Amino acid sequence: MSDFIRKNICDGVAFGSVTDDRFKIGRLSSTLIVPLSKETAAANALLFCVLTRSCKKYPDFTALNRKLDSLYGAALYPSVNQIGDHQTLTISVTGIDDRYVLDGESVSSELAELLCSILFEPNVVDRHFADDDVEQERRQLIENIDSEYNDKRLYAIKRCVELMCRDELYSIGRFGSRDDVEKLTHENIYSAWENLLGQSRVELTMLGNSDVQKAYDGFEKYFKDRPRTFHEIEHQQVTHEKVIRASEKEDVSQSKLVMGFRCSYFKNDEDCLANSLMSAVLGGTPTSKLFLNVREKESLCYYCVSRVDNNKGIMLIDSGVETKNIEKTEEAVLKQLNALKNGEVTDSEIDNAKLAIKNSLMSSLDNLGAIQSFYTSKIMRDNRLSPLKAAEAVDRITKDRIIELAQSIELDTVFALRGN
Amino acid sequence: MSYTIIKNERLNEQYYRLEHSSGLTLLVYPKKGFNSIYASIGTKFGSIYSRFIHNGKEITVPDGTAHYLEHKLFESEDGDAFSKYAKTGASANAYTSFDMTCYLFSCTDHFRESLEILIDLMQTPYFTKETVAKEQGIILQEIKMYEDSPDWRVMMNLFQGLYHNHPINIDIAGSVESISEITPEILYECYNSYYNLHNMVMTVVGGVDPAEVLSIVDEKIKPSETIDTRVIFPEEPYHVVKSYTDQVLPVAVPMFELGFKEDSTDQYATNKELICTSILMNAFAGESSELYRKLLDQKLINSTFGHEYLEGLGYRSLILSGESRNPKAAAEMIDEAVRKLHKEGISRANFENARKIVYGKIVAGFDHKQSIASELMNGAFTGREIFETVDAIANVTADDINERLEKELDPDNSCLSVVKGE
Repeated sequence: MSDFIRKNICDGVAFGSVTDDRFKIGRLSSTLIVPLSKETAAANALLFCVLTRSCKKYPDFTALNRKLDSLYGAALYPSVNQIGDHQTLTISVTGIDDRYVLDGESVSSELAELLCSILFEPNVVDRHFADDDVEQERRQLIENIDSEYNDKRLYAIKRCVELMCRDELYSIGRFGSRDDVEKLTHENIYSAWENLLGQSRVELTMLGNSDVQKAYDGFEKYFKDRPRTFHEIEHQQVTHEKVIRASEKEDVSQSKLVMGFRCSYFKNDEDCLANSLMSAVLGGTPTSKLFLNVREKESLCYYCVSRVDNNKGIMLIDSGVETKNIEKTEEAVLKQLNALKNGEVTDSEIDNAKLAIKNSLMSSLDNLGAIQSFYTSKIMRDNRLSPLKAAEAVDRITKDRIIELAQSIELDTVFALRGN
Repeated sequence: MSYTIIKNERLNEQYYRLEHSSGLTLLVYPKKGFNSIYASIGTKFGSIYSRFIHNGKEITVPDGTAHYLEHKLFESEDGDAFSKYAKTGASANAYTSFDMTCYLFSCTDHFRESLEILIDLMQTPYFTKETVAKEQGIILQEIKMYEDSPDWRVMMNLFQGLYHNHPINIDIAGSVESISEITPEILYECYNSYYNLHNMVMTVVGGVDPAEVLSIVDEKIKPSETIDTRVIFPEEPYHVVKSYTDQVLPVAVPMFELGFKEDSTDQYATNKELICTSILMNAFAGESSELYRKLLDQKLINSTFGHEYLEGLGYRSLILSGESRNPKAAAEMIDEAVRKLHKEGISRANFENARKIVYGKIVAGFDHKQSIASELMNGAFTGREIFETVDAIANVTADDINERLEKELDPDNSCLSVVKGE
């Protein structure tokens, strides 16, 4: 496997690749990065759903899918995410490597071409995407937003973050709001396409062993002579003097407790890894403080997990508990956090967490999807260490550094979904 | 003892198989250039094995026993397995399904130590009144988590609508009441009946040397006596229990599962049957199918729409599922399409594309350690050779699919399960 190699195609447009012939599948993706904005988030999200539904060459959902079927069920799909205060919009194509086709086709080259068609030659007439595509995708995006309520664990986490970051771009969310999606006009969606191609940072990425020259050429041809701008926004952090507390009543058998904390924010990969290690020691593994005490010792829950979002500088701890135990669980969690702040942590607790993180880093090298998320999640960092270099950096983190980072953590918001 | 090597030329893949003298079936699948190793041990003992005969004695255990046993086997007299794995850095887990219980880890270093921990935890049951009692609070929260999960409820309600007597209609983790009846004695009884190497399979996939695995197994495994345990399933009629079932849960978009029950035997489906079913369903309900397009145009489904084949000892059903603002209308449209399908069969063009999709999916599976391990384990328990599918697909014809269709998707033997909001 090669390292992650990145070069500029032209200003603001980069091509990154990891060449690896171990896999039977190849992945090609294009990610556009823009600051999150209340005005554009929903339009960008809907645009990406509409784009992957048809294009000039395959002007209909069924025609496009038949083409993908004939390429051994190749996948073409949008992913809309947020990385800190930025929105990332990705179109990915994955398909079997040319070595394994039954009838001698070149799947990778066709997919590379298809990606360019999807992004640069959409199914548009007079600044108007096809009505059917827009309405079908609008309905599905709204259902997707609505169904975030179906999974109560995710819903509670979402509510906590919304409250905690209500004065920051972060709370806009990757899809924008349901209302915004409903109100979008054809003109909004077309403008989103124009603006995204002109004002985003673009990352084209190939993982595997595919022939993607056509994608490289297509991107170069499209972007080369077009003037481009991209403004990265400053990291936002609004802290609250008093802990925000909120709860909602729900007809469920298990209550959910989500605690949102502010922690240190870094753009340097080494520091981010230290933050992640601190969180792993606290509640990221089956030998962490939260697992051993809140679950095993006190039998309060099945899960009680902490995780850091390094792209935002926040940490969330969540658990599913009996309604009568909500307060007790909060106390039990804070007790463990305070212990860590006071330096009550053994070398073996730290070594265990280091081993777990290194294991996860090194394992990611065996999976193209994991490699993709690994590099994408660090897209806004000043430096992006490879999994191997990251594992070495983890080894260098000291106990004092972990305690120091724990001490910077402050409880910001507590959200409870109270069951029966 | 030496391994048999099983190869597939088309994919350029191979693995090693050995029936170890201890009784254990050993399957080692080296992936060249991989950093990590995924190892698992499974026993053919899942939640549906609640009634069985062991050494001539008939035993019935409380619902949720297999799952409870899985939790408790993680603990031995000298501490729990998680804390031992923590020293090797391996990421460990376990799961109980309807058909099996599986213990696993994934590591990039200290493989030998991790595999020793896995083997030890299998061979050193330690259940006391206190340790069993301590687990109740934790499992109770796991049960409650599933009670609130609309995905899980819509599926379990479907199984209850499809099956009268087969234990597939009972929750894997059991209920608040049933788990309170579980004692150390019951756990030992199940352990002795099913955690016998003749009933177990070990798979190791990734950057691994088969010789090393064998040397660890030779050293650590204590041979098992031959086993005399036989599972009992009640008679199950062909017809479904009811054609509709629903539950109110706080959801914003209703969810549905539409299951078509089939004749089932005490035999597992063959590779060819599975391939044919998969091609059939991709042609009938895949994203480029006529049905999918109609459902979408009528706003009855979204991209969560999909299908799966539920299959095991004594149960077989085809399931279509998704989110829908109007599940009944979606089910009616599917029903109509099923009746049309039985009249017309699948067309040659649809067959060709669906065959390619299924081939692509199978090929993709060989990139993932976990997926290979699970196929190997399943294959060993059901008598299906994993590479056979790759060649089966090259030879299958549209006639095979239409022949298969005769036994599937009976429109008069289905159940629609819905989870909806107030």
